Amino acid sequence: MGCRKEAPIDEDGLLITTRAECYVSNFELLGADFQTVRTKNAVIDTIACTVDVTVFYGTDLKHLYPQFTLVTDAKLDPKITGFTDFSDLANPRTYSVISGNRQVRKTYKVNVTVQPR
Amino acid sequence: MKSYIMSLLGLCLLVTACKDKEYAIPEAKNELQNDCIKRTLGPNVAGLNIEFAYAIALPAAKGKIVSAQVEASIAGEATTYLEHRSYYTNGSGEDVGIQIGDPAVNEGNTTKVNFTKDTNAVTLRYFYVIPKSAQGKEVRFTFSAKSSNGETVSYAMGPYKISKMDMVLDLPVKNAEASFISVADMAVYTEKDVPANADKIDLVYLYRAITGISFNHALVSPGANAEYLPDITLPPGLNRVTKVRKTWNLRDFHLARLQYGIYIDDLDFEQLDMTGSPDYVINLKSEAGAWVETADGRYRAYIYMNKVEDSKKSATISMKRYTLK
Repeated sequence: MGCRKEAPIDEDGLLITTRAECYVSNFELLGADFQTVRTKNAVIDTIACTVDVTVFYGTDLKHLYPQFTLVTDAKLDPKITGFTDFSDLANPRTYSVISGNRQVRKTYKVNVTVQPR
Repeated sequence: MKSYIMSLLGLCLLVTACKDKEYAIPEAKNELQNDCIKRTLGPNVAGLNIEFAYAIALPAAKGKIVSAQVEASIAGEATTYLEHRSYYTNGSGEDVGIQIGDPAVNEGNTTKVNFTKDTNAVTLRYFYVIPKSAQGKEVRFTFSAKSSNGETVSYAMGPYKISKMDMVLDLPVKNAEASFISVADMAVYTEKDVPANADKIDLVYLYRAITGISFNHALVSPGANAEYLPDITLPPGLNRVTKVRKTWNLRDFHLARLQYGIYIDDLDFEQLDMTGSPDYVINLKSEAGAWVETADGRYRAYIYMNKVEDSKKSATISMKRYTLK
């Protein structure tokens, strides 16, 4: 074991692999009560790099917990550290996906729409 | 060779070291003895019980138990009592009480039972009903017993911190009728009572079945955007903007009285950060809840939805409240 060449790791202590895939595979948005606020599945466009999500009428947009599912070995920037303010609908939040080999970076825009009455 | 002898010697030592002492049945103490456990869990809220089980025994040859008493550092409510019955469980699993003395008498801080039956061993339950005057203080208990041969024993319990929280259970709320909730008074008012209490109304309960969206059971501040108070004309003077945050899976044991051992304690209210919280919550389901902070910053509360009924446009709520200042 000791003779093996050390595998490269990045600044977060995560393994850098050979994978170049870089995309979001699933997106979830939780409210203050940790229950989903989506009315239906989020639409993820991996070409346009957008996540379109419709939330229930009356959702508190200032207190939402986003959850991204990424392709194997990829990571997210900025990291999700807690509840996030999504209330500025005109300026959607952006998150970058970084591939497993840390060479590809794609920035996704999260467009939140509130269910109309 | 030398090391071989040494290791052999070591082995011998190990073998002898492992020998056990002969077991002897412990000898019972030949005197009056007592023991006590606290049975209730969770924060000690005024109005609720702190329950103890106090066990007393002495050998039959020495005499019998004459009396048992509990002294609390702060007098409990008048309903505080020490059980005057000893219970056993019968074949059907029911607890059957056998009277061993006269019903307990409360005198100041002391609750006492005088024994009337020849009793050598007994476990008595003690129910201390927490008085409002003890809120934020600590309470201690001294359990003691006397036997006919003049022996006395005592057992100290505590200190126990008494919570600063107030609690109210099972307030019925109904759309357009009993729908005005006051955290300050921990009460629900009808429109008729509102003018006299207008400055104390923190939330309005309403039920709306609106096609296309999930509005249903809601708690909305009188000062919230009118969009969340559809088809309501509020009585004049209602304008408080109360912060509310929806919660799920927080079925406080005191409020819900279900099988979940979760308790909201003083600390939860002290550490609660309601910054940026909205002034309404909609689509509240049964067993959901909401954290509340009043507009004047005086109170924080947790409102639990015990039951919601769509057809009757009503709900039953319970509330724990903490006074900040």
